[in-house]
Amino acid sequence: MSADTQQPFTTVRTEGLTKLYGRTPALVTVDVELHARQVTVIEGANGSGKSTLVQLLAQLARPTRGTIAYGQLTGADARRHVGLLAHAPMLYPDLTGMENLTLFASLYGVDGSLDTLRERFELGRFADRPTRTCSRGQLQRLALARALLAKPALLLLDEPSTGLDVRGVERLAAVIDDERERGAIVALVTHDAAFADRMADRRIRLSRGRVSEAAA
Amino acid sequence: MKGFLAASWRIAAKDLRIELRTKEVVVTTGLFALLVVVLSSLAFYLSKGLAERLAPGVLWIAIAFSGVMAVGRSWERERDNQVLRALLLAPIPRGALFVGKLLANLLFVFAIEAIVLPLTALFFHVDLLPILPMLLALMALGTLGFVAAGTLFGALAARSSNARDLVLSLVVFPLIAPALLGAVVATRDLFAGASVAELFGWIRALAAFDLIFLAAGVVLFDPLLAD
Repeated sequence: MSADTQQPFTTVRTEGLTKLYGRTPALVTVDVELHARQVTVIEGANGSGKSTLVQLLAQLARPTRGTIAYGQLTGADARRHVGLLAHAPMLYPDLTGMENLTLFASLYGVDGSLDTLRERFELGRFADRPTRTCSRGQLQRLALARALLAKPALLLLDEPSTGLDVRGVERLAAVIDDERERGAIVALVTHDAAFADRMADRRIRLSRGRVSEAAA
Repeated sequence: MKGFLAASWRIAAKDLRIELRTKEVVVTTGLFALLVVVLSSLAFYLSKGLAERLAPGVLWIAIAFSGVMAVGRSWERERDNQVLRALLLAPIPRGALFVGKLLANLLFVFAIEAIVLPLTALFFHVDLLPILPMLLALMALGTLGFVAAGTLFGALAARSSNARDLVLSLVVFPLIAPALLGAVVATRDLFAGASVAELFGWIRALAAFDLIFLAAGVVLFDPLLAD
């Protein structure tokens, strides 16, 4: 069995995806397709709709019109297979890193020890301290572990490299490579042109909420 | 159903763990409630009879204000570092998130009430013992309704980018007004010697309010949180 067939879905397709905030359009009839084993970089200026697209793909917002198909899955069934890493770590500052991971593992129904995650993301002794005491790089490692603990089929990365030092960016790039190899669909939003060039298999450019360019 | 309850408990247990570690919600809002009771006793204590009549109002004002503050602070924790997004992404029924937050918020407010009630009795010379079981029942019913409403709309405020306290106050206080009115009047009648039978109408009204907001919370939580 190939890595791809182990995934619950290998494509994510949006059709006519439109999101209005009041009367302000954030996305207008966006049709995109994301594929497994590919890193799709979503580019565009501030306010072009990149983060809105990520929000919709993560089901953190509802489209005003249009649909998102996660292979044959829709709605909450698909949500289980989506991982999100953003600039904010999405971790409780007053819980330790491991307490955060244990909580999210229990919510995702991930059984067993978290030692593998600890090893993979080099979660040292800092993971046993409240996350409010962690550095940006340490937080990002914990956030990566949170986003990946359920082995998502769709990994959404919204400005994940912001504020990371060179070593942090290298570590992030290695994880993205691993996820691509595992068969995940990876969508990467970044303003870091060098990082985008390095990671991109495909590019989608948004401008004023519309797809202005899609290139392999 | 088992999964729903398990997820709710995990959310509540997480809040309790954080609170036991920081004591932030109960201590800060409990001190506020304490201040309301003490200042009210200094300002309004003119005679024992008058104090007894003022006690229900002071008790519920302290509980309502500190309770709404506690609920708001509890949701702020989900806003810090945008953890709420991670919770919403998790494959649990969003109604379970509501129930978990409600459970934790109820325990916070009950802890505040455990401080406020004996102090109100002390400062306003109310003999609690003969009416304690009925008073606790009324407080539980009154608290459940307004904490449920606060938890439901507190989530909405937590997702707002600005004016969160304004959103919470403007939405929650009008909504909880019927429950608070019922609770205050029922407590006043209880202090004045009303029997259980005489209070039954208020108990039924408070229970109905609780059921409405519990059901509304479980059903509306998901659509309310969707942008």
